[in-house]
Amino acid sequence: MLPNFAYIRARTKQEALNNLGSEGAHVHAGGTDILGCARAEVFEVEKIVSISRLEELRGITRSSDGSLRIGALTTISEIAQSPLVQESYPGLAQAAGDVASPQLRNQGTLGGNLCQRPRCWYFRGDFHCAKKGGDLCYAVEGENRYHAILGGDPCYIVHPSDTAPMLVALGAEIHISGAAGSRSMPLQDFFVLPDQDLSRENLLEPGEIVTEVLLPGASGIKSSYRKIRERGAWDFALVSVALAVRMNGSTIAEARLVLGGVAPVPWRAEAAERALIGKQPSPSVAADAAAAAVAGAQPLEQNAYKVLLAKGAILESLLAL
Amino acid sequence: MTEARYYERGPIPETPEPKQRQDHWTATKVVGQALPRVDAYQRLSGAAIYPSDVNLPEMLYGAVLRCPHAHAKVQSLDTTAAEQMPGVRAILTAESPGTDIPWQPESEGPASVLFDSVCRFEGEAVAAVAAATPYQAHDALRTIRVVYDVLPAVSNPQAALEPGAPKVHPDGNSSGEPSTYERGDVNAGFDAADAVVEETFAVPFLLHTPLEPHGCVARWEGDKLTLWESTQGVYNVQSQTAAALDLPLSHVRVIGHYVGGGFGSKLAIGKYTLIAALLAKQTAKPVKVFLSREETLLCVGNRPGGTMRLKAGAKRDGSLTALEFEALGSGGAYSPYGTGLFDWQIRDLYNCSNVRTKGQSAYINAGEERPMRAPGHPQGSWALEQILDALAEKLGLDPLELRLRNLTTVSQARGGIPYTSTGFKECLEEGARAFGWAAARARPAADGALVRGVGMGGCTWIAGAGGPPSTAIVKYFADGSVNLNMGASDIGTGTKTVMAMVVAEELGVPLERIQIEHADTGTTEFATASGGSKTVPTESPAVRAAALDCKEQLLVMAAADLETPVGDLQLHEGEVFSSRDSSKRMAVKEISQFQRRRTVVGIGYRGPNPEGKATCPFAAQFCEVEVDKLTGEVRVLRFLGAHDSGRVMSRLTYDNQVYGGIVMGIGFGLMERRVLDEKQTGKMVNRNWHDYKIPTAMDVPAAIESLPIEIQDLECNTTGAKGLGEPVTIPTAAAIANAVYHATGVRVTEAPINPTRLLELLAAHDQRRA
Amino acid sequence: MEDNHRKKKNAAEPGVTRRHFLTGTGLGAVGLATGVPAVEGDTKTDSAVVIEAGQTVPVTLQINGVRKRLLVEPRWSLAYVLREQLVMTGTKLGCDRGECGACTVLVDDVPRYSCMTLTLEAEDSKITTLEGLLDGEELGDVQRAFAEKDAFQCGYCTPGQVMAVEGLLRSNPDPSIEEIRTGVSGNLCRCGTYPNIFKAAHLAADMKRGRGGGS
Ligand SMILES: Cc1cc2nc3c(=O)[nH]c(=O)nc-3n(C[C@H](O)[C@H](O)[C@H](O)COP(=O)(O)OP(=O)(O)OC[C@H]3O[C@@H](n4cnc5c(N)ncnc54)[C@H](O)[C@@H]3O)c2cc1C
Ligand code: FES
Ligand code: FES
Repeated sequence: MLPNFAYIRARTKQEALNNLGSEGAHVHAGGTDILGCARAEVFEVEKIVSISRLEELRGITRSSDGSLRIGALTTISEIAQSPLVQESYPGLAQAAGDVASPQLRNQGTLGGNLCQRPRCWYFRGDFHCAKKGGDLCYAVEGENRYHAILGGDPCYIVHPSDTAPMLVALGAEIHISGAAGSRSMPLQDFFVLPDQDLSRENLLEPGEIVTEVLLPGASGIKSSYRKIRERGAWDFALVSVALAVRMNGSTIAEARLVLGGVAPVPWRAEAAERALIGKQPSPSVAADAAAAAVAGAQPLEQNAYKVLLAKGAILESLLAL
Repeated sequence: MTEARYYERGPIPETPEPKQRQDHWTATKVVGQALPRVDAYQRLSGAAIYPSDVNLPEMLYGAVLRCPHAHAKVQSLDTTAAEQMPGVRAILTAESPGTDIPWQPESEGPASVLFDSVCRFEGEAVAAVAAATPYQAHDALRTIRVVYDVLPAVSNPQAALEPGAPKVHPDGNSSGEPSTYERGDVNAGFDAADAVVEETFAVPFLLHTPLEPHGCVARWEGDKLTLWESTQGVYNVQSQTAAALDLPLSHVRVIGHYVGGGFGSKLAIGKYTLIAALLAKQTAKPVKVFLSREETLLCVGNRPGGTMRLKAGAKRDGSLTALEFEALGSGGAYSPYGTGLFDWQIRDLYNCSNVRTKGQSAYINAGEERPMRAPGHPQGSWALEQILDALAEKLGLDPLELRLRNLTTVSQARGGIPYTSTGFKECLEEGARAFGWAAARARPAADGALVRGVGMGGCTWIAGAGGPPSTAIVKYFADGSVNLNMGASDIGTGTKTVMAMVVAEELGVPLERIQIEHADTGTTEFATASGGSKTVPTESPAVRAAALDCKEQLLVMAAADLETPVGDLQLHEGEVFSSRDSSKRMAVKEISQFQRRRTVVGIGYRGPNPEGKATCPFAAQFCEVEVDKLTGEVRVLRFLGAHDSGRVMSRLTYDNQVYGGIVMGIGFGLMERRVLDEKQTGKMVNRNWHDYKIPTAMDVPAAIESLPIEIQDLECNTTGAKGLGEPVTIPTAAAIANAVYHATGVRVTEAPINPTRLLELLAAHDQRRA
Repeated sequence: MEDNHRKKKNAAEPGVTRRHFLTGTGLGAVGLATGVPAVEGDTKTDSAVVIEAGQTVPVTLQINGVRKRLLVEPRWSLAYVLREQLVMTGTKLGCDRGECGACTVLVDDVPRYSCMTLTLEAEDSKITTLEGLLDGEELGDVQRAFAEKDAFQCGYCTPGQVMAVEGLLRSNPDPSIEEIRTGVSGNLCRCGTYPNIFKAAHLAADMKRGRGGGS
């Protein structure tokens, strides 16, 4: 059962910002993740600051320059079902549609999906692991079949979000508001590896909220998202492949390939991208790219399959181009 | 180990033999039809009150503090802060008076008590609280300070038996001498074989996870205790609770009208039952204790996993010459039945004169097993059905053909007594025909990344005969409506619906006119728990006898009015008529004696099963899978279950069982496994429904076909029904494994089959071929 | 025990003690759906509606078209309030963590997990539960379809399944089999009745569109 917390319903963005910042204060958007963390006592939740009624943070709009703005409170379902998204960013519609379950997609928001805490079962369970201030990453010696093969040390979580890898592949920018004003950055730079900061997964400071995500225009871009999981719904990716390419005739002019489920952040496979640019898609080009993507992988005892899986899924995504 | 262990705890009473003459049904009017359930309205409108829905005035909420370690000794426990917490009304610890209760004294495992100072598994109960809201109860638990002496833990049976392993119990980890079985001369059998295959298999520990968590509501009125418990058997709960609390049986009333699934995990009480009763006593208020989902994954049962070595030999013609099976498993910290019935399929299903089996069970620091849908059988089937396919390949035979060449009509494991009926051959043949087996098998392999294959498996189930005791009462009222009283629970298999259909068959009353009282020790007759696929074959003959008793009485009364021999009279749709003289007829309502009595009460008992014979259900299941060789994903495309469970009593609920068993088997085959942090803490890492994955709607084919093989069994009992609820899940996972082999050439000997395992096997296979 | 606890930090004080007391409709600030005009306390923009831990506040919920007023703590989930406070036990609780779907209700016609929804978050929304699908005492279309197709066994997941199908059909009256599967993919059925749930969803769609109503 949920422990006790105070509840604050923000009526304006400013109200939300004023009430965040103290320790133990957390944003509640859809609540699907923060309430789970509170209930499992993953960390202390003293104050829930609900931003769910801030209409200004909701909705999907296209600007005249072709870029797309998605408000942080837009639900995952709205993204999956948006004609604008389906038409221009089919990979994103796919990724959103692959998140969790219909009910969670109806309730969970984009901001929450990007900021959700990792699903490592040691982190979520009652283990005082390194990420929670303990000494040990239990995954190193323990049950690590779902853990990171890239960028892991010293904590082997994988980033849980399905939308994040796709948005990174699409070159999204994230907008953040805080007491001190607003800032924005490429979404790719938003996420941090455990060796940069073990206690968090992104650069959001206490007291800040994500307000929106901005996608550059997608004309000429083909995008796809391929998620592999153990069961057909309600399951995080074992591995996922977010792909965005711009073709120039029959050659690949631009490519972004981002892996989910393999690293503590959405993992941009730049070596693979290099292996693709300027080439015509073919089985051997795809195989080279796939091999390049996982070249530096350092699997743990139980997750070597992820190397094969990432390769297989990349191959499949590229051959479907 | 007896069959009954799997659904009963404690002695089982006898019932008298039925006195009614019961001819075999030839044609039926109601039985066998596809009729909506009699309790559909209740279950669909929200009117059904499940035990977890019970809400009584002034009710408090109980919660249990559980040991967070796999193995620990409670050094000290301080509840002072908890006592001061808002809403707290009572706290129970090992120190509280009345808590020194032996836990499961009738079990063959080691002794324990309600709050044992040594916690031998994560989730063992340490203390409990009652408070005004469940939130407050949990708040209070958070403030209880326990100092544990954390002990080394052992999490798997192999490790447990190694010298120097941490000891779960002072006497060590062996659950006693291995259980062994032998017939014929196994060595000679292998010598005589033209082909021998041998393989080691492994299956994980699985969890029942019924949708309704375990728990109960307890209320005292003076020294009488009423429990609303989510259970498969109210009388089990009654007897166990009465024994534990030293109460007369008459003072314990258990009500379990609805139960949100059990699958074997709700055959017995839990510690929560006693905790609720004690908290209710202490506070003089009703107390509700329902476990959290996490708790249900830790401490209310599991299906044992383990390793199995199976060796099989056969002649060139496919006839089996020898089977040798060895299993190692664990029943957790307290049950010695870690490999119980793993070997049953091997002993009984296929004709083989030379069989040797051995099962060794070790204690580990994990929750205790409880029977789970066909205890031991799916595990053994995982090995047996796969080894048969391997043998078939070696012999150049079709897997179906190999099975057909090893049929038997006797129960070899029971000393060769005949089955009252076996439709196994028909299950295999007609199932294969309906599935299109031959054509699918012959299809050339695809060469892309997406490959398809078909697989099958057969099974029998040890129980499923049912048997005494059972008593049912049918009351026929003056207005032609009927009340059926029976003790059995309807765990979702449709017991109530089937029994109402039996009454309707005999008395010609429409289902809407039948009201059922059941699953309440205060008001209904004794029944054994609903489990073991034995509820329909156990209860339906008793219900039939009770209905016939009613009918006979009515006919005798009518005979007096009509002045005609009672033997000529028949009853149908509220009318009695003579089969010889069509002028002799009258409405039941008008029978003069009946008008005076207003009610006729019929009592029916379940007669004994035929001596010297065995009654078992049989089945064959077929499936088609698609494997993505690049990603290791396995998709089940279609399934067919051909089941011989005797008479089809109710078509809708019959088919539904077949679907449900197959779905559960898909979980076993493709995704389920309990994961303990074996190398470090021994704690369970996937104690929730997200990490312990069971199938969703996306994981099952819409195309599951149920093909009843309706063998007339004239001997088994008076309705001709055999059990169905367990065989439906026995061969499923093995059939999937065989299909994956057919598709890929890779034999996955360890369940589950999914990318986390299959990809590496595929890669190794490719390397070998290259 | 009872008397001492009030001194504790997290003590549950009876009644309403939040900083900005709003009369009328619970939190009131956005109380439009309830039809009662919002009466705001002081409206300094830098101060939000705050409810301290353990305090109870009055809320008005609109459940199945009926307004219910009750006191809730911030942490009380909608599932808890429905089941234990309002004793509307058609809504079930299987996991209390968004992993089974037994607690599915419609919030403004959209299926949601009531166990992962704070009651305070559901204020001002239209909540529909299993009981709300009844037509008087008669089963609604989806419920009838479930009965006819035997789309349940133990019945404990069933209210959630029914609500998921109801939600699906409200947004998509003519779903394909794949849409149906996806539509109920957030509802576990351990009894494994999925094939019948698919059939029931099809039938319910037909019934709702006024085609037939039989099998
Ligand atoms: C059983 C289950 C399965 C799931 N499976 C998947 C899956 O397969 N793929 C996947 O991608 N996700 C999955 N999820 C995660 C789910 O998608 C997220 O919980 C959801 O998207 C979070 O959105 P929310 O609005 O509910 O977040 P909340 O719970 O409200 O917030 C989540 C976190 O983000 C912070 N936050 C939220 N919004 C903002 C904001 N605007 N600014 C700053 N911080 C913010 C919160 O403080 C909190 O820490 C699953 C979740 C569950 C419970
Ligand atoms: S109870 Fe809400 S999803 Fe399980
Ligand atoms: S009917 Fe029992 S869980 Fe679905």
